Amino acid sequence: MDLLTSLLATAFLAGGVLAFAALGEVLAERVGVVNLGVEGLMAMGAVTGVAAVTAVPSPAFGFLASLAVGAALGIAFASATVFLRANQVLCGLALTLIGTGLSATVGRGYSGMPSPAVFERVEIPLLSKIPVLGPALFSQNILVYLIYIVLPVALHYLMFRTRHGLNLRAVGENPAAADSAGIPVGLIRFAYVVAGSALSAGAGAYLTLAFVPSWSDGVVAGRGWIAVALVIFAGYRPIPVVLSALFFGFVTALGFVGQARGWPVGAAVLSMMPYLGTIALIIVPVLAWQKVRRLMAAPASLGEPYHRDLR
Amino acid sequence: MVEWRLQRLPSAGTGAALGARIAAVLLALGVAAVALVLAGQNPFALAAQVIRATFGSTFGLEDLGLLLIPLLLTGLSVAVGQQIGVWNIGAEGQFYIGAFAAAAVGLFLPGSAALILPLMFVAGAVGGMFWILVPTLARAYAGVNELITTLLLNFVAALLVYYVATGPWRERGGVSNSATARIPAEIPEFWGLVHWGLPAGVLMALGFAALLAYSRWGYEVRFAGSNAKAARYAGMPVRRHLVTVMLLSGMIAGIGGMLEIAGTVHRLQGGISNNFGYLGIMVAVLARNSCLGVIASAAFMAVILNAGIVLQTQGLTSATVLAITGLILFLTAVGDEVSHYRIVRGKV
Repeated sequence: MDLLTSLLATAFLAGGVLAFAALGEVLAERVGVVNLGVEGLMAMGAVTGVAAVTAVPSPAFGFLASLAVGAALGIAFASATVFLRANQVLCGLALTLIGTGLSATVGRGYSGMPSPAVFERVEIPLLSKIPVLGPALFSQNILVYLIYIVLPVALHYLMFRTRHGLNLRAVGENPAAADSAGIPVGLIRFAYVVAGSALSAGAGAYLTLAFVPSWSDGVVAGRGWIAVALVIFAGYRPIPVVLSALFFGFVTALGFVGQARGWPVGAAVLSMMPYLGTIALIIVPVLAWQKVRRLMAAPASLGEPYHRDLR
Repeated sequence: MVEWRLQRLPSAGTGAALGARIAAVLLALGVAAVALVLAGQNPFALAAQVIRATFGSTFGLEDLGLLLIPLLLTGLSVAVGQQIGVWNIGAEGQFYIGAFAAAAVGLFLPGSAALILPLMFVAGAVGGMFWILVPTLARAYAGVNELITTLLLNFVAALLVYYVATGPWRERGGVSNSATARIPAEIPEFWGLVHWGLPAGVLMALGFAALLAYSRWGYEVRFAGSNAKAARYAGMPVRRHLVTVMLLSGMIAGIGGMLEIAGTVHRLQGGISNNFGYLGIMVAVLARNSCLGVIASAAFMAVILNAGIVLQTQGLTSATVLAITGLILFLTAVGDEVSHYRIVRGKV
């Protein structure tokens, strides 16, 4: 493969982790709940994926198992933040600590070994024969198509083209008004936070079953936090989230290629780039163009628990 | 008709909040004990071992004292930020950079300890402030959420320290190939291995508690923290206070890194901030962001952390301790909300 093709192929593969996790966070934040547990959910999903395929050598099984673990943790998080109305920032940080610590504890036996079963590349007939783009876009594992095509389109349609989507956005903007209109605020918040948590954990499984593909302590390496930042940068919209994740994948791919080809930039600097880049991405647009603040604004009730009796 | 019902109070009472914390800790430890039983361990024997190893020997108490210092400083850092409603999740990174800056002074400036130690202190403080500068300006002038910017800088700081400790500053032919040479200037000890960083940290906590409680500045900061709009309306310089408080928060964490380098570890190495920044969030939350309470909750967290170290021989790791800490944090957050409620009997 030539340079451009391998760059693009790696960009799609690397960006997929962030896109997947960030789509999960979009679901939670659109209904007004900040889930800062993405990093921990990804860690748990990553270790679950490897543990599951070690027991049953099927990548689909590993992926589903990590979705289930993510949903279970999401139920705990959503029960606390939506029904008990506990502080979302604290519960999210707690979820990150629990997930990071627990995954390292249960994952010790799997550390460093290659995943026994991984998602293989699927060559799409004809399309994969296109020069340059073909091998990069149409010769990826099946999850890549799910992440870049199926999920963003489906979520965009759901959120912006259906009555239910209007309702769920209303819950995030003004839960009191939504409640008055008869929308079940608590139930919608709960359901989307749990679904979002499952997706974030699935991103972890993508990491260990398709991208890296092995488990080691610290394999998530802050990607959960980058995903949270991408959601802000992309204005809480599914399609921009996926595009900005792809951009990030491209930056990561440049780092890989740079290291492989011995570009005269230190490996330390290259590994800092994603974090510094994310910080720049969430600060610079706001400074450069005041209008984006309103356009890309967070749901108005983001982070605020809803008490019907305190309306 | 008279019946029992729940009533939500605007703020939880101190007693209820304290009770919620104690209940959260006990419940989390209970869950950990059940997990240990399921893993085939005897939690009571382990607990006895922890208590014996921690409180039963001078050595254990010295370890506790040494762990207390960084937890005190990072906890105070988070608690000070919270006075004006700021989440400094970056204490971890500021701690790293404080240690990095102090190590730079200690390694490369010649001079007696009496001269170098104050310089290291200043370097640590300035390093911590520098590391929170961009998140501070972004929050104050562009409204960018400080949670994520401070957090992402933790990774950069950890990579930077790891890079210099294993690369350019590495001690050639040293005992470890991932640490710098020993820094000659050392904070003197006052009790066994415990150095004067501990009283210094306690004094800082007392100082900030007094400043916040009794000065005009402290009043305005707390006012702005509970209602920024009203504070602006009352003519208080909210943005200036925000900048000052965030820089102070970074400074405290940076000083924590300096004390760790100059008093406890004496070398810069990768992972010098052993999750102290994240545990500092725990310390501040358990203390309900009270600067005095931080002293007590840091002591508690030091016991938990030390328990993890004692139990490493039993197959537990620092990761397990992190998970248990997270569980305590989760249950505390729930308990905090529950303690807002009281049961009242009244007419419907």
